[in-house]
Amino acid sequence: MAVYEGPVQQLIDELGRLPGIGPKSAQRIAFHLLKAAPEDAKRLARAIVEAKERVSWCRRCYNLAEGELCAFCRDERRDPHVLCIVEEPRDIVAIERTGEYRGRYHVLQGAISPIEGVGPEQLRIKELLARLPEEGVTEVILATNPNIEGEATAMYLARLLKPLGVRVTRIASGLPVGGDLEYADEVTLGRALEGRHEL
Amino acid sequence: MLAEAGSTTTSRVEQLWLQDFRCFGSVEVSFPAGLTVLYGDNGQGKTSLLEAVGWVARARSFRGVPDAALVRRGAAAAVVRAEVGAGTRTRLFEAEIRGQGRNRIQVNRQAVARRRDLYGLLRVTVFAPDDLELVKGGPAGRRSYLDELLSLVGARYDAAASDYERVLRHRNALLRGPRHDELRGASLAVFDEQLVRAGAELVRGRLRLTARLLPAVDAAYRALAGHDAVIHASYEPDWCEPLTADDVDAVEDLMRAALERTARAEAERGVTLVGPHRDEWRITIGGLDARTQASQGEQRTLALALRLAGHAVVADLTGDAPVLLLDDVFSELDHARAEALVRSLPAAQTLVTTAGSLPATVTPQQAMRVAAGRVETMEP
Repeated sequence: MAVYEGPVQQLIDELGRLPGIGPKSAQRIAFHLLKAAPEDAKRLARAIVEAKERVSWCRRCYNLAEGELCAFCRDERRDPHVLCIVEEPRDIVAIERTGEYRGRYHVLQGAISPIEGVGPEQLRIKELLARLPEEGVTEVILATNPNIEGEATAMYLARLLKPLGVRVTRIASGLPVGGDLEYADEVTLGRALEGRHEL
Repeated sequence: MLAEAGSTTTSRVEQLWLQDFRCFGSVEVSFPAGLTVLYGDNGQGKTSLLEAVGWVARARSFRGVPDAALVRRGAAAAVVRAEVGAGTRTRLFEAEIRGQGRNRIQVNRQAVARRRDLYGLLRVTVFAPDDLELVKGGPAGRRSYLDELLSLVGARYDAAASDYERVLRHRNALLRGPRHDELRGASLAVFDEQLVRAGAELVRGRLRLTARLLPAVDAAYRALAGHDAVIHASYEPDWCEPLTADDVDAVEDLMRAALERTARAEAERGVTLVGPHRDEWRITIGGLDARTQASQGEQRTLALALRLAGHAVVADLTGDAPVLLLDDVFSELDHARAEALVRSLPAAQTLVTTAGSLPATVTPQQAMRVAAGRVETMEP
């Protein structure tokens, strides 16, 4: 329902197309921008245009990149023989924060989800297969999300990759460190028990 | 799983505040530990009060309506607050139920992100007039009877049920998709495995629960009917021979074999034909199918016995007796059965609604009148 004049309604419509933003939020943001100083609004517009123009996909791992390759693919100190497979670029950020990983990445840009019409062919799997011999990869770590879609994707990749002779591992799921057993939900605790190891 | 529990406590709702919930503007009610009777004509809000208590336990309406139906007309959100006691501990539950968007739930002022995290706060056993459908209706009602009880005794079964439902949707979407596709075969194999994992977990839970329930159903039926009857329930999957609790270790293999057998039929029909979403839980009284061959009276008695048995098993396994919510149940029962039900009620906090009178043997701790969205305590 278009109730505002031309450009105002157009702004609300555009904002409303963003993920997680409903009609009411779109309206609130639009009015915030209209009230803001012209410089603030222009800075936002420039940031969007600039990011869109300068950032694209890394042609090797499909992370976000400024230029041909992303920072991790450019970094020669990284171990090229280990690949960590994630669903989205933001997952790389989470793994990097651990400081535990020194290998390279491959971003699938999604997970298998037939409900949403996403099959293996929509993911960057062909590109992954091409990388393995090219870069001499010996281990692939499947770090997709521990939900139905992420598990399905991990299982699919494991079946595809194991016959190729690379080591395939899956990240464990379990308890948050620093948490109290008493407050852990039963399902997570159950998974942690299943994945227990010798001390 | 399903381990034996020691002593039993009774959890209870001590205080309930409602704001813009159904027909209530703003109302505050306290409940004693024992029996409270809510009197009132139809449409005055008696059931809504039970529904609010049920919402505290399940974060959804036991009447199966969407949350939007709970918000008073003209209001943006309904608020339910409750003090829930268990043993010596009292916890404050607070929920803002919105017609649209996400609900906000807190326990002791800590945000609760998922329904599953409410697990164990409060359990309820609901008796409603349409429980007769449990016996007379199709298998879906009996499956959800079992699954609801499972979700009360262990969060893992709740997780298995919601995983299963999602896997099923993915798998059906694949089966409906383009037929001759190499990639589909590989994706299907992955979802077959997930279907088997979540599905077998659910089936194993239902089988173990059945073994637990049967003696309790027998005992409850005898108490209600006043005579012995041989009640049996058999778990009958659509995709293999009937199963018992002795088969729990074989379920995964049986499911895999059935998937292989039905692969062609599934591809043709574009729908998943194997799994717990197709199973029947057939109850017999004296060897006769309760759904088709029992009298109306026997069916009614059996429906009550199923609720009482479920309550007893949950109390036994969790060590915590659920709150009993009896919605207008006595109006449906003849004199003898109503008296028998009163005698069979376990020790637990109990809320009863009625538009008329109750059996003379009912001795409430508290009587309240609900009229036009107001709740008043009545003199004894």
